[in-house]
This record gives sequence, C-alpha cells and structure tokens, in this order.
Amino acid sequence: MLGRLRSLARRVLGVTRESTYYLPWLTRPGLECVVLVNNIESRFTSGRGATATDLGATVTQYDAGGGVVGVYTTALSDSADAREVRLTPTAAGHGFVTVRTRRIHSDLYVALVDGESYSATHGRQEFIEHYPPWTRAALAIAGGAVATAGGTVPLFARDQYVYHGPDSRSHVLIFNLSNVVNRIRVVATRDGTRAGTRLLRLPPMGSALLDIATLGPPAEHLVVERLRLTGNAWFNLYLVGAGARDLDGALSLMHVK
Amino acid sequence: MSATFHEAGYAHLVELVHQKDGGARRQLASVRLTAYDTAGVCHVTTELDPRQEILDLDALLGQACRAHGRLLAVFDARYDPTVFPYRPHHYAYLQRRDSAAPPLYYAVNATLGGVPDRIGAVALNNFESYLFLDRPLTERYALALGNLSRFATAEAQVISYYDGARLTEEVRLPPKAHTEIPLAPEHDGQRLRRVELKSLFRLTSYVVGRRAREDALVLFDHLFTYFK
Repeated sequence: MLGRLRSLARRVLGVTRESTYYLPWLTRPGLECVVLVNNIESRFTSGRGATATDLGATVTQYDAGGGVVGVYTTALSDSADAREVRLTPTAAGHGFVTVRTRRIHSDLYVALVDGESYSATHGRQEFIEHYPPWTRAALAIAGGAVATAGGTVPLFARDQYVYHGPDSRSHVLIFNLSNVVNRIRVVATRDGTRAGTRLLRLPPMGSALLDIATLGPPAEHLVVERLRLTGNAWFNLYLVGAGARDLDGALSLMHVK
Repeated sequence: MSATFHEAGYAHLVELVHQKDGGARRQLASVRLTAYDTAGVCHVTTELDPRQEILDLDALLGQACRAHGRLLAVFDARYDPTVFPYRPHHYAYLQRRDSAAPPLYYAVNATLGGVPDRIGAVALNNFESYLFLDRPLTERYALALGNLSRFATAEAQVISYYDGARLTEEVRLPPKAHTEIPLAPEHDGQRLRRVELKSLFRLTSYVVGRRAREDALVLFDHLFTYFK
C-alpha cells in the first residue's frame, strides 16, 4: 500500500528513477581506492558471445559536494576479464561512483589498499532520483522551513546499527542519490535513550562522512547505537570501519542491506 | 538457518534481527545457537532471547574457541509460521582485539542446511565466485567452508584461477564439519585473480583475507552468485 502511494506521489511530482549501479569510495593519505570492474557471471548468459563493446564500462566519480571528479572508461577483453580503476583522491576524500555498462551481471568490488593488505566490499544496483525543477523548488522551500527547527521532510527512512568503542568504530558514509538537496536527520539512541541528533545537508549527488563519535558521549567499551536516518529524497549508506587510529589508520568499507 | 565462523581473540557482535524486519511483519519466535568444531562436534547449544537485538558471540563462544579452535556458529531462527519459509538475513561486526586492522561489518551467510537448490540434482549446481585485486600484497587468502546439513556429506570444488592456469581442490565435509582452504596468492608467477566454489547444495562460505603481520581478518565476505 505504502509502495503504491509512493509510486503515485512520484508520478504526480514528476519524479523519475534512473537505474544505476553505484559503489562508495574513500581515500586517505596512504590509502588507495580501487574499483574492480568485471562482468564475470555474464558468461552464463549474454557474455558467451559478448564483444568488447558489450563488456565496456564507464565509471563516474562524484565527490562529497556532488561534483564529478573523474570519468574513467574501461573495456573488458572477455567475460572472464577484470580491470582495476584507481580513483582520484580529493580533499574531502569520499563520495560514490556510478558504473554504466550495457548490462551488468556481476557485482563489482571496491577495495581500500594500504600497501600491506586490502579490504573490500561490493556495490549496489539501485537508482538515482531525478526531480523536475518545480518539485526541486518546492522541496527546497519546504526543506528549508523544516530545517530551521532541526528537521527534514521525512520521505525516506533507514535504520542502522553502528558500533562505537575506544579501539574501533563504524562511521557512516551517506549518499544523496538524487538531484535535489537532501537534508538527512540522524537520531542516535543508546540503550533506549537518545544519544544525539544531527541534521546533514547533502548537495545533489553529494555525500557526507558522519563521524559516529560526534553523535554521543564517549564509550569506554564497545557499544551499539541505533541510528534512525530520515531524508527528503532517496539516499543510502555504507559503514566505514575504523580501528584504534580512527580515520588516520587502516579502514574498511562495508555494505549494508 | 544462517551461519558464521568465530575465532578466539575477536570482538564479534551479531545482529540477530534484520533491521528491515518490521516487528509487525516478521516476528522472530525463537533463535537457537549451536557451535561446532572443525570435525563437526557440537560444543555449544543455547536458546537465545529472541527479543535480544545484538548478540556478543565472543562472550558465548570465546571459551569453547580457546579449547577447540575456530567454531562454526549456526543460528536456527524460527519466525511466525505464516511467513515460513524465511531465511534470516542479518549482519555482524567483527574486529580482532589489540590489532591495527579495521573492523569488518558483514552479512551473515544464509544457508539452506543441506537442501539442494534443485531437488533431484545430482551434479554440482551451486556456484559462487569472488575476485581478487591483482596486487603483490602480503595478505593471505582462504575460503572458509562449513556444511550445515544434518545427514549428508558435502562434496565441493574450490577452483583458483591464475592468469593462464587453474587449480582445483576437492573438498569433502561431513555434516557440521568445516575447514579453511588456503588460496595461494601466486602460481607460477601469476597472481590469484578469482576463486569459484561449486557444490551440490549451498555451503556456509566466506572469503577470508588476513594481514600477514598480525593474522587479523581484513576480508570476511560472502561470495557471489551471478545475477539471474
């Protein structure tokens, strides 16, 4: 029922959804970020007779502000081939990439390499929401008004556990998967008690790295917090695993459902 | 059922209920945790409180791990029968204590428990793959495999691909037994590019990567079936 209502609302508002495969990226000094493009499973289907054109991919890297950092094209020689695309570091050091191919049958990987080892996760086949100009304007006015009270227009919500301790923690990398400004309200609860709130303002196609330590009091041992994230447009998130040296040390990127 | 592996020395917090499971839609009625050593011998059986959101796996299995080594931890979750069958899909947080390695957050394997994906299948029809970066790193790779079936021994093939070569290892696992198959990072000067797992039914399977310096896990991830 809710799904039908959402679908109807999108039609009324003129919102379209473009099917998109995307992955997170993260760079730090001494930490390289690589996307591993492949279409390995396509050999069971169209890949058996695929050409290099069929197996090519265009990777577009968006920075935290939603700007395009780089566009990389790569071609796979056959369905068993895999190619690495090294992403460009930026000042903010995070964002997401979209991958355009004729047809993807495989999940793609993104790896954080520290020279000694690497950690990896995979991307997600979802969509980017496109709002027409008048809807963007209406959302900007409504969102700005609600934001003065610390809120957002609550159109989408996600729940996520995060982990917080003196020696390790999971930060949250949040993506605005739309062409409107996305105000995302984050409420953290610990042991049933509200630990902190934040209101993030993500530009179109932008992202934010939410430092979990800023959301609540320091934890003397590893604790679990429950996050409720609410936004005015489509968004998603990955977790960033950090050890004792926090964001200056080795990191991992981790998908969520 | 769902299953993971636990080793001594790791903080390991398992989310028992998937965060998208609205309480009104899927009620977790009971959760039983059992843990087995590599030979399939059960060392821990305990009923968990289904209202509990996060389980400290090391608090329950740490002592048994120190005595028996790595354990296969099996979660048998029962939901409201009106939504049966439902395979739980939940996540866990994992980090080696006193290590510089970052924590990992991973999806706990959902496993059929010895039921072939196609009833009557006699060939190896369950197929998963994973790709590796082509870098000369000191990380050590392996495939951790467990057989959740009650009666059937599992036969599987682990096939490692190097540029121009493939190595096949046959694996035979009695019920509830598990093993870790090392994957050589190089073969005849060629880097490991890909691993495939073929089996008659779905095994508990994780790709494992460990930092050479401290033996800490930096990869603990599921393999992929192809998009259908």
